[in-house]
Amino acid sequence: MQRARREQLQTGLMLAPSVLLLGLFVLVPLCVVFAYSFALRDPYGAVLPGFTLDNYKELIQGVYLQIFLNSFSLAAMTTGLCLLIGYPVAYYIAFKAGRAAPALLLLLLIPFWINFLIRISAWVVLLGRGGLINQGLLASGLTQLPIGMLGTVGATLVGMVYAFLPVTVFPIYAALTPLDRRLLEAGADLGAGPGETFWRITLPLSLPGVLAAALFVFVPSMGVFAIPVLLGGGKEIILGNLIVQLFLEFRNIPAGSAVSILLLVFSGFGILLYMRALRRVEAMK
Amino acid sequence: MTARTGTPGWAMRNLVYGVSGWVTLLTYLFMLLPIAVLIGFAFNAGKSTVVWTGFSLRWFQKVVGNGNILDALQVSLFVALASAALSTAIGAVAAVAITRRSFPGRDLLAAALAAPLVLPEIVLGVALLVFMSFAGVTLGYATMIVGHVLVSIPFATLIVRAAASSLDPRLENAAADLGADEWQTFRMVTLPQLMPAILTAFILSATLSFDNLVMSTFTSGVGTTTLPLRIYSMLKLGITPEINALGALMVLANVTILLLVMGRYLPLMLKTNRQ
Amino acid sequence: MTNRLILGLAATALSLVAALPAFAEDLRIYGWAGEMPDEVLADFQKETGIHVTFDTFDSNESLIAKLDAGGSGYDLVNPSQYAVQILINRGKLVELDHAKIDTYGKIAPTFQNVSYDTGNKFSIPYVWGTTGLAYNKTCVDAPITSWKSLFDEKYKGRVYMLDNMLAAYIAGLQVNGFRANSTNPAEIEKATETLIAQKPLLAGYNSTNFADLVSSGEACIVESWSSSVLQAIADNPDVVYVLPEEGGTMWIDGYAILKDAPNPEAAYKFLSYILRPEVAAKTTELTKTATVVSESKALLPKEIAENPAVFPAEATLAKADFILDLGDAMKLYQDGWTKVKAAK
Repeated sequence: MQRARREQLQTGLMLAPSVLLLGLFVLVPLCVVFAYSFALRDPYGAVLPGFTLDNYKELIQGVYLQIFLNSFSLAAMTTGLCLLIGYPVAYYIAFKAGRAAPALLLLLLIPFWINFLIRISAWVVLLGRGGLINQGLLASGLTQLPIGMLGTVGATLVGMVYAFLPVTVFPIYAALTPLDRRLLEAGADLGAGPGETFWRITLPLSLPGVLAAALFVFVPSMGVFAIPVLLGGGKEIILGNLIVQLFLEFRNIPAGSAVSILLLVFSGFGILLYMRALRRVEAMK
Repeated sequence: MTARTGTPGWAMRNLVYGVSGWVTLLTYLFMLLPIAVLIGFAFNAGKSTVVWTGFSLRWFQKVVGNGNILDALQVSLFVALASAALSTAIGAVAAVAITRRSFPGRDLLAAALAAPLVLPEIVLGVALLVFMSFAGVTLGYATMIVGHVLVSIPFATLIVRAAASSLDPRLENAAADLGADEWQTFRMVTLPQLMPAILTAFILSATLSFDNLVMSTFTSGVGTTTLPLRIYSMLKLGITPEINALGALMVLANVTILLLVMGRYLPLMLKTNRQ
Repeated sequence: MTNRLILGLAATALSLVAALPAFAEDLRIYGWAGEMPDEVLADFQKETGIHVTFDTFDSNESLIAKLDAGGSGYDLVNPSQYAVQILINRGKLVELDHAKIDTYGKIAPTFQNVSYDTGNKFSIPYVWGTTGLAYNKTCVDAPITSWKSLFDEKYKGRVYMLDNMLAAYIAGLQVNGFRANSTNPAEIEKATETLIAQKPLLAGYNSTNFADLVSSGEACIVESWSSSVLQAIADNPDVVYVLPEEGGTMWIDGYAILKDAPNPEAAYKFLSYILRPEVAAKTTELTKTATVVSESKALLPKEIAENPAVFPAEATLAKADFILDLGDAMKLYQDGWTKVKAAK
């Protein structure tokens, strides 16, 4: 009896710091943002008490729809590209690299030892008209004039894939490694072609990793703001840029809060979709 | 590899491996080439980051003599260490509780601890700034450390949870049978087994904090200009090899830390990762 | 081993805190990146023993957002003219006691009574410059003189606009023959259309590394603040800065003391110090930005004192607009700018 109570107390003490942290610095702030999203403001940016749905109504305008569309398409393209590139890489590391696997995983993280902005600026230099890529193209005679690559969607995508690729490889790798190679080979021995083995055994079994990777790429990429500005020329703004603009440039805290809440709802949807898909995948097994 | 040489299956498998091999090769070129070029031009004599004019170490001298960078480095190191210590401690304790104890709302807490991973950081940063101003808190080290803890705690918790769930409870039972009290068991049996995961969590948290720009933008106060914030204002004045030199030094520092501090734990860490 | 490691890390963290130097007096300044040389701060520190923490921001908007959050902890801030107005209206600034600034008389008469802050009641102007165009001589055939070049099909994909609402509207309004500080809804609407039509021609909006982009030839023409591009001009003779014939704008970055400043007395000492002609001259020499201290011009090397990008001729300056807080019209600009940013 006493032992049980002591254990309860212990558990409580163990949980207190994280519950306090999440409650005070995540839950309460998000509630404040939620409340602000219905508030009014004066022309100088002060939040005034009151209740209005205008902050949300304004978001249904065409202008904002365009920005939502931009965000979705950029996030979808980033996720697609990351999966397309990340899956074979994870597959190779898991099944083919052997003892080099840990080293390969570490190598993938090297760019992250350098500050994010320095990494992006390295791409600004590489993709520039005088940069190495153009120097190479000119020298090889493939083009006569340097190609303007900065300020294009392509440049943004390069930056996004560069930033999110490791996040893609790790969960897929983690899902692939426990797959028993003997199981896969048994499939082959039973007459299933390697293509069939891959489609019917490997891919379905690694789907939870693929889904996790998709979630980790899709949701954060809607909130990115530095990459579209520095590589994409800031022409196609996405939700992250919109939030910065509303909070910092326009000092419209209620509108910025409304967009934040919306982004939160989108993320929530993403997580729900992920969990449903995960359940379906697990039911398949 | 037992696939039979010469069969169509063997050829197909080679193709699958071949494709993945080529993609992997190109991916590593894509990931590492920019870094190689970046480091290379840190040694450029001229002011250009595109045209090579000769070898020089002057940009390294400039970085090392730049008081602003050194100040920012000090701030960044302090915030990284403090936030990593906090997030690892809080995350590890919570992770152990989640895997070892049953209590109401366990799944909810586990999900909540992972939530910042999928909450856009910018929303979290804005929410924190709005809340701090609402509560009348002065921005500074404390606000920034809290912000960075939020960014890193999902990773810290997940890493320690993975390790804790793979522990063999029989070991602890054996210790208890041998007369060790709870605290002794934890300190002598459980903790040492979790140590590689805890260190991994610490290093990862510190790295995330050291690289953070978004959260820092919203939570910085007087004198808490971190390295990324300083680099951002340096970029405004133009990309010179000084930035490259700084990047090269960062790689060097990381390799050194990895070799020195982790030399002992790296093999262990990699082993846990591969499980 | 484990314990030692943890102890070691804790000791490192503690020593880092302890290493933060303790000074008798502190002054905390929040200022523009690149407008106050480190040497001036170090000299001030040496002379007065007051330790200066100088943090930087990159736009008036982020300055205001930080101050709005309250309890910023700074003594002195460095807003531009329209930001001074907003901060006065938000009740953030203290009324200055000019008697405490013994060098106040060194400020040129034109800057002693600025329109945005009558009688310099709340702010001391310090550096000033213009918003105009910078271009790279190697990729244009004739000298650029007008905003029209930013809207010229010929330079498609080689033009950057400042990534700042009020700055972008300067070009959008003036190219249509309107004033840059217009509050007329029809004029703002027309400027919005012009900026949307311009978008396909742009390489992008950039207020970060645009000087680098024009210097490297990545961009041919960029909308630019004079102060940001002067270092690039010093390094690369192909870069030219001009105030366009439509006028461009003039801006002033001043200093103001916050109401909740922990150490206003040190702030006054700093203001007295930076208005000394020799200190102002040093500021101009190192940052290539003009100050309001007219006597300092005589102390400058000829190539700076006679550089029209640093000190434009009176006649060109007379045509420049002066952007003030636009009050209720701000909403029109914001709605328009969001449309521009969302446009394809």
